Amino acid sequence: MKLPIIRFAGLLVVFSSMNAHSAFSQAAEKSALSIGLSYFSIDDKVPYVVVKTKAKIEGRFRPVGGEALKIYLGSESAGSLIKEVMTDDKGEAFAYIPPALHQEWGQNPKKTFLATFAGDKKYDSASADLTVSRAKMVIDTSGDRKIVATLLEWKDSGWVPVKGVDVAIAIKRLDAYLNVNQTPTYSTDSTGRVTAEFKRDSLAGDVNGNIVIVAKVDDNDSYGNLLQEMTVPWGKKFATEDTFGKRTLYATGNRAPVWLLLMSGSIILCVWSILIYLVVNLVRIKRLGKMG
Amino acid sequence: MENLNSAAEERIIRDLLPQKFGRKGKLFVGILIVFCLVGLYAYYRQLQYGLVVTAMRDYASWGIYISNFVFFVAISLVGSLITAVFRLLNVKWSMPLTRIAEMIAVAAIIFAAIIIVVDMGRPDRFYNLFLHGRIQSPIIWDVIVITTYFFISLLLLYYPLLPDLKILLGVKNAPAKGLQRFYRFLGSFWKGTDGQARLNEKAISILCITIIPVAFSIHTVTSWLFATTYRPGWDSTNFGAYFIAGAFLVGSGAVGVAMYIFRKVYHLEKYITEDHFDKMGKIVVLLSLIYLYFNINEFLTPVFKMKRSESGYLTDLFTGNFAGVFWFAILTGMILPVVILLFRKGRKPLPVFIVGIMVIVGAWLKRYLIVTPTMLNPFLPMYNVPAGYHHYFPSWEEWAIAFGSLAGAVLVITILARIFPVIPIHETLTEQHETADH
Repeated sequence: MKLPIIRFAGLLVVFSSMNAHSAFSQAAEKSALSIGLSYFSIDDKVPYVVVKTKAKIEGRFRPVGGEALKIYLGSESAGSLIKEVMTDDKGEAFAYIPPALHQEWGQNPKKTFLATFAGDKKYDSASADLTVSRAKMVIDTSGDRKIVATLLEWKDSGWVPVKGVDVAIAIKRLDAYLNVNQTPTYSTDSTGRVTAEFKRDSLAGDVNGNIVIVAKVDDNDSYGNLLQEMTVPWGKKFATEDTFGKRTLYATGNRAPVWLLLMSGSIILCVWSILIYLVVNLVRIKRLGKMG
Repeated sequence: MENLNSAAEERIIRDLLPQKFGRKGKLFVGILIVFCLVGLYAYYRQLQYGLVVTAMRDYASWGIYISNFVFFVAISLVGSLITAVFRLLNVKWSMPLTRIAEMIAVAAIIFAAIIIVVDMGRPDRFYNLFLHGRIQSPIIWDVIVITTYFFISLLLLYYPLLPDLKILLGVKNAPAKGLQRFYRFLGSFWKGTDGQARLNEKAISILCITIIPVAFSIHTVTSWLFATTYRPGWDSTNFGAYFIAGAFLVGSGAVGVAMYIFRKVYHLEKYITEDHFDKMGKIVVLLSLIYLYFNINEFLTPVFKMKRSESGYLTDLFTGNFAGVFWFAILTGMILPVVILLFRKGRKPLPVFIVGIMVIVGAWLKRYLIVTPTMLNPFLPMYNVPAGYHHYFPSWEEWAIAFGSLAGAVLVITILARIFPVIPIHETLTEQHETADH
């Protein structure tokens, strides 16, 4: 009788220690949340900020979803709150600059964004900030299919050209950007300009041959992400082919392809001619019988 | 010619004349008629209540009717093999088997056409197929080619019958008046003149040449009904040849069975000899190996790749719900026939008969496996459907109609064998004369 009791007690101790270990280890596993901030100014639209959260899980940085963060313009105060956001499965969330912050937005050409995380059961509290200068991209074309993009920064009371920033000139396609020629990016000169030659022939455009060219700055430390679009008629006109009512394999019976009608018709005619001949042959045999 | 005396001729004619049904024959015909009547009643119920009396639903929308259709089309090809191919190759020994093969072909093609109409929910709308049919559709190709093949098979049965009809009308023990009238209607004009014989011979040669491409077309087009439909298991370029190989095999099996039964019932041991069984056995071995090759070809590469979209279907066949039927069909329909018929003793009449039945059963199950597992494994998974949609087991109406049609085909063969000689009399006499001359 004693032996089972001892065994039971032993097992109880083992399980208790395991639970205790896991309880302790949960507390010990609370780790740091890494926050990334990016600024986007796309084609004269309302600028927005993207926040990304990730953490080291099983030795690798992985996106962390479902975390609540607050994004501020300038300092951490209720009056400068841009938005309270929740990260998605990819650990991302974004927030447009709200109209309420219009005045604060115009005050200073240098913008500082602050993202804060209050902490939860899994992660410690964390914050990140990003400072970008107010800048804009201007895009234009010249008659010989050249694209001219100018990067300008607001300083004191006017726009001044920015030198030495990488600008990509590309064509906007579905979910991707296609280079206009062999060179993907250009560095701005002292006038803040880059010039790229459009060398894509017969690139499919819309029904009028329009395509969208873009000039963009990606993840620049001083200016964030800038992008400007322009529609130009340099593509090939896309003509949709309407097969309705035409002779196709998928049309109605009276609109079968001519080649199919000819082929099937000639085969059927050939075989049934033979069969008709054989029936006629029977008539001839019958006639011979009557004569005999 | 004169070496064969008239007594010998009379004996041959007497041996080969169609015979009245005995007690067993009448019982056999009675059983077949009962099967047909039950099938007809089931079809009446289907017409009355609609296809809901079947087990076919949204997913398994093709069932054993289509399996039966493919089976009948397959078996009908034997007419072209035994009659046309062998005749063109100048294979003399097959002569006593030609009529049997032609009768099987005619009966099978009649029921192939019937069963496809049975599969239609609204057969009264069948005429729309002709009014609004699309030549782009393999279904129309099938309708055209089945009609053509039926007509050719009838002619191929009729032309060689003409000289026999003269013999049948001239025998001393005249058959019943009704039959005599029928014979006269069919062939009273046949006098056996040189001119008639020449035209007849020419017509048979033309038919033999014409029937081969048509026969290949009929089963290739039937295979395309499946292969042009994008579904797991049917998306194959191998299907035409695969179906043709299977068709020749089941047709040969059916001839083996029919040979044995007619030989036994009509006491034709002198005309359908053990040598015929030996040779048919060898043909079945060859055709089994060819069909086995096509089966390996059909399944090895998909199984090797095991594409996700086809894995459900392949697993179902090889180790899942249909594995028992699948391996049974492969074993009894292909492997065991080869094993049995490779030995000389295995090519005796009774083993050939048994192997023939195995081949037929295996072939029917194979057609079932071509249709049903694919229907139950669509590319898009079945969601939110009644539990019954995931399975298919034919209703009693389907079984009754399927067995009724099989019985109907056998009944047609039996009636044809009652009316016409199962072995061509005129050709047998000619052959005997030639043998005697030598």
